[in-house]
Formats: sequence, structure tokens, C-alpha cells
Amino acid sequence: MTRVIEGSQAVAEAVKLAKAKVVSAYPITPQTHIVEELARLCSDGTMDARFICVESEHSAMASVIGAASGGVRAFTASSSHGLALMHEMLHWASAARLPIVMAEVNRALGPGWNLWLDQTDSLAQRDTGWIQIYVSDGQEALDTTLAAYRLAEIVNLPVMVVLDAFFLSHTYEPVDVPSQEDVDRFLPPYSPKFLLDTKAPYVLGEVAPPSVYMEMRRSIQSAMESAPEALEAVDEEFRSIFGRGYGPVEAYRCEDADIVIAATGTTAGTARVAVDALRDRGEKVGLLRIRLFRPFPARAVHEALRGTKKVAVLDRNCSFGAGGIFAQETRAALYNLGGPPVHSYIAGLGGRDVTPSLVEELYFDAKKAAAPAPESVWLGLREELCK
Amino acid sequence: MKSYNADPIEEYLNPGHVGCPGCGGTLAMKLALRALGPKTVMVVPASCWAIIVGNYPQSSLKVPVLQTGFATTGAAASGVRAALDARGDRETTVVGWAGDGGTFDIGFQALSAAAERGEDFIYVCYDNEAYMNTGVQRSSSTPYGARTMTTPGGGWKRQQKKNIVEVLAAHRVPYAATASIAYPDDLERKMRKAVSLRGAGLRFIHIFASCPTGWGFASDKSVKVARMAVASRFFPLYEVEDGLRYTINQPSPDEAGASLPVGDYMRAQSRFRHLSAEEVASIQERVEEEWGRLKQKAE
Amino acid sequence: MKASRLDSLNVSLFISRSSASTSSNKTGSWSFSRPRRAERSAPCSAACPCSEDIPRIEMLASRGLADEALASILEENPLPGTCGRVCFHPCEAACNRGGIDEAVSVNALERSLSDATVTAAPPARKLPPSARKKITIIGSGPAGLSAAYFLARLGHECEILEASSAAGGLLRWGIPEYRLPSAALEREIARVESLGVRIRLGRPAGEDMLAEPSRGRDAVVIATGHGRPSALGVPGDELALDALGMLARSRRGEERRFPRGGAPVAVVGGGNTAVDAARTLLRLGAEPIIVYRRRREDMPAIGAEIEAALAEGVRILPLAAPSAIEGSDGKMALKLRRMRSGDAGADGRASVAPVPGEDFALEVSAVYAAVGASAAERWMLPREGSALRLARCAIDPTAAGGRPVAYAGDLTIGRESVSDAIASGKEAAIALDALFSFGIKGVAAEIERALAADGGSASMEAYSRGPRATRSRAIVKAEDLNADYIERSRRANGRALESAKAALSFAEVECGLGPAEAAAQAGRCLNCGICNDCDNCRTFCPEAAVDVGPPGSGDPAWTSPRAPNLDYCKGCGICATECPRGALSMEEASS
Repeated sequence: MTRVIEGSQAVAEAVKLAKAKVVSAYPITPQTHIVEELARLCSDGTMDARFICVESEHSAMASVIGAASGGVRAFTASSSHGLALMHEMLHWASAARLPIVMAEVNRALGPGWNLWLDQTDSLAQRDTGWIQIYVSDGQEALDTTLAAYRLAEIVNLPVMVVLDAFFLSHTYEPVDVPSQEDVDRFLPPYSPKFLLDTKAPYVLGEVAPPSVYMEMRRSIQSAMESAPEALEAVDEEFRSIFGRGYGPVEAYRCEDADIVIAATGTTAGTARVAVDALRDRGEKVGLLRIRLFRPFPARAVHEALRGTKKVAVLDRNCSFGAGGIFAQETRAALYNLGGPPVHSYIAGLGGRDVTPSLVEELYFDAKKAAAPAPESVWLGLREELCK
Repeated sequence: MKSYNADPIEEYLNPGHVGCPGCGGTLAMKLALRALGPKTVMVVPASCWAIIVGNYPQSSLKVPVLQTGFATTGAAASGVRAALDARGDRETTVVGWAGDGGTFDIGFQALSAAAERGEDFIYVCYDNEAYMNTGVQRSSSTPYGARTMTTPGGGWKRQQKKNIVEVLAAHRVPYAATASIAYPDDLERKMRKAVSLRGAGLRFIHIFASCPTGWGFASDKSVKVARMAVASRFFPLYEVEDGLRYTINQPSPDEAGASLPVGDYMRAQSRFRHLSAEEVASIQERVEEEWGRLKQKAE
Repeated sequence: MKASRLDSLNVSLFISRSSASTSSNKTGSWSFSRPRRAERSAPCSAACPCSEDIPRIEMLASRGLADEALASILEENPLPGTCGRVCFHPCEAACNRGGIDEAVSVNALERSLSDATVTAAPPARKLPPSARKKITIIGSGPAGLSAAYFLARLGHECEILEASSAAGGLLRWGIPEYRLPSAALEREIARVESLGVRIRLGRPAGEDMLAEPSRGRDAVVIATGHGRPSALGVPGDELALDALGMLARSRRGEERRFPRGGAPVAVVGGGNTAVDAARTLLRLGAEPIIVYRRRREDMPAIGAEIEAALAEGVRILPLAAPSAIEGSDGKMALKLRRMRSGDAGADGRASVAPVPGEDFALEVSAVYAAVGASAAERWMLPREGSALRLARCAIDPTAAGGRPVAYAGDLTIGRESVSDAIASGKEAAIALDALFSFGIKGVAAEIERALAADGGSASMEAYSRGPRATRSRAIVKAEDLNADYIERSRRANGRALESAKAALSFAEVECGLGPAEAAAQAGRCLNCGICNDCDNCRTFCPEAAVDVGPPGSGDPAWTSPRAPNLDYCKGCGICATECPRGALSMEEASS
């Protein structure tokens, strides 16, 4: 049934429908509405689950690892510094091959303290072995969270569902909230492939010497390599029950585009408006929304950019010394497959607004550039503050 | 009637593990599991025991074990408990089994939070008074006067050993107790008591686990050194219920003087041998003060 | 749910989870030393003149194996019912438990075991006729009975010649009925006789007995004791009566009773004979005073006996030495010098000297002398120069017309006690047996081999190479024990008649321990030096590598054998250090 709900609530609804049994979280703006909603659902009995109010994000991840090892569906959410604090245990969760789902709200890292949209936090965790999917609206947030459990439990890798701070987490939109009955047809009960059981005792996570460690790592990589196919199959199942599907990327008006603007999250929505406006003025431009980030969907990106002359990537993040991260990843993905040159743009850090006109500025800058600039181009800077 | 004590004992520790000869931490686990039994899940962070559990694909324990990050015992055990409860298992006991580093220092926050939340598991700290697994570096459990690799030579530790049981008592946990490998019956009794307090909140057991490798004494003396620690009142055995009611088990509070001077206990270990007579005397004084305070609480 | 593409997706899942036990690692390869069961000796056994294997006895008794416990005693001592009543129990003074709470009630337990069980003597060795010797023993006191018992067990044919009308020597004629009832003594003598020993009564000792070998005997044992009482050595000492003589008459029921209200009766002396005489006289109606030249604490009599005497109403007058006796029987004056004690001598007893000008006298109706005795005749003593002196006996290869003579009992031991006499008889028996096998030159070595503990005495078990003979002679000291595991408990001495009642008759004063209480008291023994299944080794092994055999299958067969599992033992040594009774030691492992 369609309800007008916040992005945060959409995530919480999905966790409820997925019948997670353990939710463990530490509050950090702007994730708080997700966990508060879940606390309410656990407290009034709507969810048959334990809500653990842990004392830090590191413990939040550790406790969901404990819960998942104990054989139940678990959930947590975080953002920014909280995610950064979890870093050690993010590595742990993936190497432990636990199907944990986490909602991560992209928020800037300090100092200075900044509560608003910036993607560096989640992207800085790209090496931790988590599947990462960037969603752009409330419906997608709900749907992806549900699909994340299905995917995670197939490939035994944890999944991070990434939402934009405030622009998604705190924005009310009409969302079709599926019925429990439909969700139950999509998502079977969790059947762990290993767990802590006194009737069949073994150690989980013991010392792995050089003679075996590499193969265990290879297994993680193999699972990652299976993820795109698994995601496609999950998407198919989802579509067959709910009538909606997403894919690893969304290509909008890319078929005959000379220049494709690549963006993610809610920014893609703004970019879509700009693309339509530019098209109306005769520009041959398209939008590539990158949704699956880990594993990086190289083939899908390559396919979407076939025939394109340039791709201009809009990053709301920066890996200092290397530039916009989506741009780097795209460039690396295309290097062997072949593809258009990648122009890298950084904009909208720390919640600085990205407007359609800024997207247009990006487009024209890319259009006139003979080749990509050696460093990422920063757009929307206040020159008088630049020292 | 004296018996043959020949009944087979169900051990949940396998031989063939890599614990040092004379390892107090291993002895502590063996004794604890005799009381805990097979319906136990162990949560083990980075520590000597993370290694003693075994190298892939072996296990030295006959119970399930979840290895976890150094700081996380309190949190991971909470998650495991929540999962077992969700699966309807109220019989299995969850035990966090951490060293002093993973309890007093890096694991302290998670432990405190679990205690405050009244989590239903038993937290056992087996205490060898330093980061032994990484090569004998000091922790906040290292006693005043000890040399370690990070408090070497004249830089021996000038800070007092943190009183972790008092900290847990301040959390008003239902049960907190010290125990020792030299007093196996007392240790097993306390484990059984902790198990019986299922659902009451976090139960905390602090086990003195002497370390021949790190403290500098011959491997055959582990139990003897542990006994000397108790006899000298350096590490008395006591229980605190609900953070308020104290009972001293060993040594007897009725004895006027300790049966052993602290100096004798310390002279048996090379980590203390550099201390002067004055320094030893000041330690003796402090031990007596602490003992006096403990006795007052137990009245 | 219909089968989906997802179900057939093959996803790699290789995690660090266990599937095997560490028990396939044979960590025994780490060790360079390993534990070995290495039993040691106990201080009580070393102190016991009879070398009784006390830790073993108490362990068996504590398990309710009373027959086995008594059999163990009988291995070393034929007269436990006697010793359990009259021994001065040096074992208890040496007991390691004494330093923890209270010594084990070894003495009372020995009596209890002997009273409760009727156990035969251990079987005798079978010797071929040529090796079986015929031995005459002169005297049926504790030394003579003991010598005969052990010689008979070693396979020889023994005959005891006893001067009086009943066997037992001082056991019968010197120790009163209220301490050692005839019935108990008879049982003990019967056990010796059950080995085929013949006792011929009414045969007074004579030097002609040295000619026994001419009558087909192979050797003689002289155990005639000190038959000549010492005189007081003061003017009028012929007026003093012999205390031992009085005790013998009292046993036969021939001693006079004393009228009530008469003057006190003096007993001069400080040993057991003096105390026995005083308590006997009390029961005969007299008012006895023990007169002793040194301090009360210097009296050589057993402390408990002195306490009992005082409780019954016997008075003690210390630091008083007779100087003369005047008067006649019934009304005498015992002249005394007040003594003053000075520095202690080598034996720990104070030297005494008269205080000038403080002579006084006691009005008494009789004076009994109990100041010692000596051998009655010279031939009873070992010949200087030809007799080999051993710790408690002497042996002369040719003193009986070219045949060996062994000397035992009060004749040869320094300390006069029943258990020393028994030990002396045992030693004499072993010495003779050794002489028969190896000649006089082999005797000392065989006696040495028969020692079971450092500083101890000859053991029959050691001599016959029994299972406990392999234990180390090193004594387990108090500091070797883990006193912390020992629950403090009180010893029980057994009930006794209340003193006022005891003094009225010759009924046995000490009533002993009941069987249940005895087993419990035996349980207080720490079993120093012997494995008693305390299980410390298994409890404290960090490798869980101590194997335990079925109950009662140990060697010897009353413990459960405990052995390290050498596949896993890393040689840490905790088991040996934590063995509270020194029954395990570490030794270097060979590659």
C-alpha cells in the first residue's frame, strides 16, 4: 500500500518486513530516524526482535556479527564517523562471510563537524569486502533493503544500502510498502550455512595460517564475482513479485549521447532534470546512474557508454591525492574494456547544494575540454574562501 | 571415606593445543568448562586464547567458539545471546572469554555497556596481567612494580593494577567474583553459580591465570605462584552480589596476618625481582590497606 | 517457492572454521622432562621403630579396608594391639599434619584396627629343609615374641623359652591390666603361635641355654631383658620394694591392698614403670606420690600417662632425690634432698644439683623403687670384640658353641620402649636370616638394604623386596605439602574412662575409637610420599593429559594408577609440584 513516508522509514519498513531478529545500533545524525523507527517497532511488539542499544558503532557491528553467527537475520545502520569507527569490524563481517545488511547514510566526515551529504564515508570503505548499492529515492531504499537480504544470504557477503543524508533520509515521498505476504514469497526464512550450535560445535574465525589464508580470500573475491549475476537473478525475482526492478546501473537517454553524465543517489535525480533541459536545447547528453558500486559493474558501465564520446562523473566525495572516487573506479573499469575518456568533477561536498545549473556547468565544461583535466575539477567553490 | 577419584571427567578441552607448558590461562579454561558443560558458546577475542583455540582446521575445545575483534567481547556476546534467544534457545550459556587486555583496556567499553544493559551472559576475564600474546606488554591490569616489554628497566610500572571487580560492582551486576587456578573447587563453584543466574544480568568472573612465560618463573610453579598471590592477599578470592554484598572466600578474614608476605610472592617471579626492600614494603602496605577495605565491605 | 536461478548458483564459501581436534598434535614432542611416579617415605614411618608403612595403613583404613590396613601393620609389627595401647607414638610427634592443625591419631587407629579385625599373620616364606633353621629364643617379652614372629615368617622353626608361668614378659608383668588387658595380649601371643612358634613356659634363663646348638638348634636369640632391678643406692635402700615386682604380683592378683587413710606410698623414679606403679598402687587403695629427682617435664614417661596419673589423683614431687630410707614397712621416713635444675644436658634434660640446707623427709608407708634395671647375668650381654653391633641388636656368629647368637630387646637398645624392643627383635631376626644366607660379612649390607626410610629402622617389606620397597628413602617434609588444600579438622583420641571412675578398678581406661570414627580419623592422614588419589595431578594438568586407571588397579593395588599421557605431556612439571605428598617427580626424558 502506498504511504507517504521518510526515506528512513522506508528502510525501517523493509527491515520489519524482512523479519530481522536482532537490530543493534548507535545513534548518529542522520541515521537516527531509521533506528528510532525500528526501536519503536521492536518495543511495541510489531517486530519480534531484540533492539540492542550499544555504546558505539564498533560494538554495533560486533554485535550483529555475533547475532548473524548465532544464526539470525541482523541489521544495523550508521553514517560518517560511525561508519568510520566500524571499519575494523566491516572487514570482519565480510571475511566472516555473514549476510548482514546495513543502511549507511552518506554524511561528511570531520573535522569540522558536518552533518550533510558527502559520500566519502561509504566510499572509504570500498575495500572492506561489502557489497555497496547507492539508492536514490524512498521506494528504491525500501526495495533495495529487502533485496539486500536475499542477495546477502545467497553470496554470504554483507550488503551496505547507501542513502543520501537528509535529501533521502529525511525526505517524505510516496512509497509502495509491500505486504508481508508478498515479501514472504520473495524472501525465504534465513537458513544459515554455518552457525554456533552446541549440537555441532566448531570454531568460527580461527587462526588461518599462510597455507590457507589466501584461498579464503580468494573465496571472498569469488563470491564478489558471483554477486552481479546473483543481483540480476534477485532483481528478476523481485520484479516478478513486485513489478519493479533496478539493475546495477540506470542508463537514461544514453543511447545516442555524445556526453554522459555519471551521478549517484539523489544527485542523479537533479542531474536527470538537467539532462532533460539540455536535451531540450539540443545537447546530446545522457545520464548514467551508478547504483551497484561494489562489485564495480564494469560490464554494465561499459555497455551503457558504448558509442559515447565522453563521460563526466560527478563525485560528491574526494579521495585526497586521487580525486573523485566514482571517477577513478569508472576510469579503472574502462581501461581494459575500452571506453570514452573519463572527466572527473567534484561538487556538493558537505551538503553544498548541487543544482541543475551546476550540472549544466559541469556538462559544458566537459564538452569544451579537449581531454580530461589531470586532477578532478571542483565545481561550485567559493573562490573567496579558497586559500 | 577417601575415594579413588578415578571417575572419568568430561573434559571440554582437547590436548594437543599450543598453550605454553604451565599455561595458567589454559588451566583456567579447562576448569571453567568442567563446570560450564557442553551447552556453552564461547566468544573469544584477540588474546592468547585466540591462538590456543587452534589453527585452521583444528579446535582445542569441544564447544562452539566465535572468535571476534579485540575490543568486542561484550558486544559480540550480546549479539550471540540475542540470536540464541530469538531461536528459542534458553539453555545454552553464552560466555565471553577475554584476557586482561581485552577486558581492562580495549574491551572495557563494550564490557561496561553490556553490564549496564544487563546482558545475559557470563564474562570471564582470565588475567595474566599483560598483553602476553603480543609479547608481554603492559596493560592496566599489570600490577605496580612489574617490568614488561613496554615498562622495561627503570621504567617499571608505576601505576596500580586497575580493580576491575570493583568497577563491575559499581555497575551493580548481579554477580562479580575473583577466582584462581590454584583453587579449582572455588572456581568451579563460581562458574556454576554464574550459570544459575541466567537472566539476572551480566555475571563477571575474574580469574587469576599465572603466566610462566611472561612473569618469569619455571613452568611447574604456575599453580604455586597463583596460590601465593592469594595467600599474600595480593589477589584475594571474593564474591560481590548485586554490587553490594561482599563475601571473602580466601584467605580467611579471621586470620590476623597473611600467611605469606607479598615479598615472597614477588620474589618468585623475575618481573618483580628488581624492586628494592622499600618498594616491596610500600607494596605490602598497600596490599594490607586494600585488604582492610575489602574486609570492611564484607562485614 | 518455485525453484529459482539463485538456488543453482554455486557461490564459493571457504571460511576459517574448524573441522578437527587439536588432539592430532602430539605435543609430547615438546617436553624434555616428564613426570614419574616416585613415592617417598613419610616422617612417621621413619620415626616408627617398627618402620610401619603408616601412610599406606591410614589410606587403607580411611577407605574402610580394615583387614588390608591391619595386614600392612602386621607386615612390620606383630603386636599392634599392644603398641596401639602402650607405644609412645614417635610417629605422631613427627607427623607433618602436626604443623598444620593436629597430628593424626596414628596410635589410637592402630589399636582400633587391631581390636576390630581378626587378621591372621602374613604367610610365612617356604624354605627348603636345608635352609630352614631351628632357633631358640630366650624370653617371651616383646623382643623375643618379635624375633620369633619374624624368624618364623622367614621360614625358620622357632621355640621360645619363657621363665615365668605366662608369656609376654614386661607386657604382662610390667604393664598393668588397665593399660594392656590380658585378653588383648593373649590374642597377640596367639597370632605369633599361629605361625608355628612354640612357647615353653616355666623355663628360667640359664647360661646352659647357650649350649642349645648341641641339642640340634642352629642359633639362639637372647631377649631376656633387664631382669635385675637397680637399687636406689642410698642407706636403707634394702627397705625399698621393687616396683616391677609389685606390678607382676598385681597382675597375678597377689599384691596386697592398702588400708584407707594410711600414709602415702612413695614411688621413686620418672619412667613408665614409676607411673604404672603409682597408678596401680592407687587402684590398690594407696595414696601414691611419685618422687623424681629432675623436673616434671624431664620425666621420661609418656606424657599422656603422666597426665592420666595426675587426673586420677597421683601426686608428683619433682626435684627431690632420696638420700636415705628409715623405719620399716608400714611406717617409713623417706629422706629427700631438694634439687635445683641447671642447664640442660645433651639429652635435653636439665642437670640437677642438691640445694644445700634443704633436706626434708616424707612420711610414707612404703617406698617402691622404679629407677631402672639391667641385665641379670653377664652371659646375656653381647661379647665385646666378637659381637657385631647393629642399630638395635647385636649378633655374634659363634657365641653359642660356634653357632650364632643374636641379642635383642632392652639388652641392646638405647631407648627402652615396647616398640623399640619389637624393632630390635625384627632386626635380630633379619640379621640372623642374613647371616644364614651370606655369613657375618653380609649382615650389615642386608640390614642396610632393609631400611625403608632415611633415619628409619629395618623393614620386613624392604627386606623381602615388597612393592613398597622401591620407594625413595627421602622423607616428605612439611614444606613439601600443599597445606592449603587441607581442611582443618580435629583429631580424636578415643574415649576414656573418667579419671575418678578409672582409678577405682583395673578396667581398661582407654576405650579407643569406634570403626566409623576410626575411618574418619584415618582420613586425616595426608599420606605423605604415597599416591592417595587426591587427583591434584589431573586437576592441574593444563594439557588434560593425565590418564587415570580403574579404581583399585594401581600398583600397589589400592590406588588408581595415574600416568601422564606422553603423547601430550609437555613436561611443564605442575603435576609433580602440586602433588601434595611427594609421590611424583620430574625426570629428564630421553629422546
